[in-house]
Amino acid sequence: MQNFHPRLLKETPFLFFTGKGGVGKTSTACATAVNLTDQGKKVLLVSTDPASNLQDVFGMEFSNQPMQVENIDGLYACNLDPEEAAKSYRDKVVGPFRGKLPDSVVDQMEEQLSGACTVEIAAFDEFTNLLTNYDLIQDFDHVIFDTAPTGHTLRLLQLPSAWNGFLEESTHGASCLGPLSGLAAKKELYANTVKVLADSTQTKLVLVTRPDLSTFVEAERASSELKEIGIKNQLLIINGLLKKPMDGDEISTSFYERQQKALKELPTALKQLETYTLPFVSYSLIGSESLRYLFKSYVLPSSMQELVEINNDDLKTINQTINELNEKNSRVIMTMGKGGVGKTTIASLIAVGLAKRGKKVHLTTTDPAAHLDFVFRDEQVMDNLTISKIDPSAEVEKYKFEVIRNASTALDEDALSYLEEDLNSPCTEEIAVFRAFADVVEKSNEEIVVIDTAPTGHTLLLLDAAKSYEKELSRSTGEVPVAVQKLLPRLRNPEETSVLIVTLPEATPVFEATRLQQDLIRAGIHPKSWIINQSLYGTDTVDPVLSSKANSEKLWIKKVSEELTTHSTIVKWQPEDKLGNAKIQELIN
Amino acid sequence: MSKVEIFDPALCCPTGVCGPGVDPELTRVASSVFTLEKKGYDIKRYNLGTEPGMFVENQVVNQVLHDKGPDALPVVLVNGEMLKVGEYPSNEELATWFGIQESELRMGKPKILLDVKFAK
Repeated sequence: MQNFHPRLLKETPFLFFTGKGGVGKTSTACATAVNLTDQGKKVLLVSTDPASNLQDVFGMEFSNQPMQVENIDGLYACNLDPEEAAKSYRDKVVGPFRGKLPDSVVDQMEEQLSGACTVEIAAFDEFTNLLTNYDLIQDFDHVIFDTAPTGHTLRLLQLPSAWNGFLEESTHGASCLGPLSGLAAKKELYANTVKVLADSTQTKLVLVTRPDLSTFVEAERASSELKEIGIKNQLLIINGLLKKPMDGDEISTSFYERQQKALKELPTALKQLETYTLPFVSYSLIGSESLRYLFKSYVLPSSMQELVEINNDDLKTINQTINELNEKNSRVIMTMGKGGVGKTTIASLIAVGLAKRGKKVHLTTTDPAAHLDFVFRDEQVMDNLTISKIDPSAEVEKYKFEVIRNASTALDEDALSYLEEDLNSPCTEEIAVFRAFADVVEKSNEEIVVIDTAPTGHTLLLLDAAKSYEKELSRSTGEVPVAVQKLLPRLRNPEETSVLIVTLPEATPVFEATRLQQDLIRAGIHPKSWIINQSLYGTDTVDPVLSSKANSEKLWIKKVSEELTTHSTIVKWQPEDKLGNAKIQELIN
Repeated sequence: MSKVEIFDPALCCPTGVCGPGVDPELTRVASSVFTLEKKGYDIKRYNLGTEPGMFVENQVVNQVLHDKGPDALPVVLVNGEMLKVGEYPSNEELATWFGIQESELRMGKPKILLDVKFAK
């Protein structure tokens, strides 16, 4: 397979990068943008990720208006933060009524426009405005979208057809599209957006993966779903490939073999795509210089490397941390962090570790890209450990069924179909998942619940929903499950709940985890520990690329243990592909 | 013919299924209004969240909001006169206002859950 080079994308104006969290979408998109700019093109880089890290890469703040990137002529960037978009949408709707209606009335309007649907809709609205702003677009040779983790991307891209269908089918004017009702007028704009996306001379989808089966599975899903809505021009990048192992080095050879094994498992659908690779590099892709190195070299010149000393006494082993959790008797344990940092693995380690120590444990996941069954593939699960998964689409069906069953005695057929129509709206999923999450946490009355939560942005929406729920609850006349009422107070109580932030010893995951921690603290939730996962530092590899990576990890380990938390745990990179039960036992004993 | 206007509090959707729990009262009102509209009766619903303009324009409603705040909603006007504050009209009231039978608020076949017992 050939190395990827941005010149391959030279002919296509709209480029979308997508993939599972942590595969390097942002880095690849930014490096591509810088490279195309160096080739004399004028490029606009757009982030639609609620947890965007463009500012970390370029060391400057961005807004939803394109801004020139410092020191890189011809490169512009903007950040379409959905939360921000929702806020300005809210101001636009509510603003004119300030002073005309009493403050308490205006507050109620604002509250109603703070829900998940408004965020989704406002983000899409901004996205469309940008894509159909011909005056702006024609100024650029390329517009590169560094899109959010896959689930979100799919929703964003699928929305045009979803909304189109919805607006047509809607028989009654004021449906659950409440906040959307003003948008019907923009239907044509949305239709144009869909057209541009499906035009293979204009749009190319770049699926970014790592040599790792779970990222392939995710890419395959994205590829087929997007093909279905007409985006057929696709290209596959396998990022972070170690070109050759170092003989006799256990870490290096198993690192290499694991990747080669994964490559053999590349799904058939992906094999049909144009495929390129990018090398595993030892350095963080921060700043234009290192972005330029990505297409040239695997290690940075030593003049660009920093010397860092860390105090190993500050770092706990996962086993010590499990002991502490065991003694503290936390009822709810949540692992949080950016996608791809290994939340599922850590949650599994802790669940098995506590079960081993005699606790009754329930392990669950809300991650849409869950791979718990990979972790426990073919392994006997222990007696006092149960496992479950929150699957959004299944939860939606369950919720719909429950609502309809409760209502059907009182309603006739027409009224029922009317109700069903509202239940097909996008906000139903948010509600359904949220309730399922609350139900799982409720289980902590009888057993310890370990939750491997969804990637950062989604998790925050979930918690934010929890916050506005509180207000909503106080005036809701409907029936509110007890589990939902108790949720937030429980998550805030450090005696009951331990939040563990999982990160990799790399720039982007640490930056994002830092923001996550700030948001959690604002919501009244204080993380107990940071877990630095998949650390090459501490292994005995002498492979030039891997040991150089281990060296560059020290900076981030130091930052975490000295600045970000008083309790850090380090988990070394593990030679095995998936942690089976046996390996887990070894780590926690 | 009577004209009925219902001024809702800020709702995400008129059936209330988007809330943390489903309010059967909202679902009933939504389907009754839906049925009446379909039969050509003059009945309208305004949602504070999406059509706040109506709450400013209508003097009666505006006054209630200034006096009592948003908790006074829903407000129901019949021919411009405020007949209900803080609660939705019952199906009986709706039928009276329009001079029809309550049964007309249902259309199509009612969906009844049958409790079937099989002989053993």
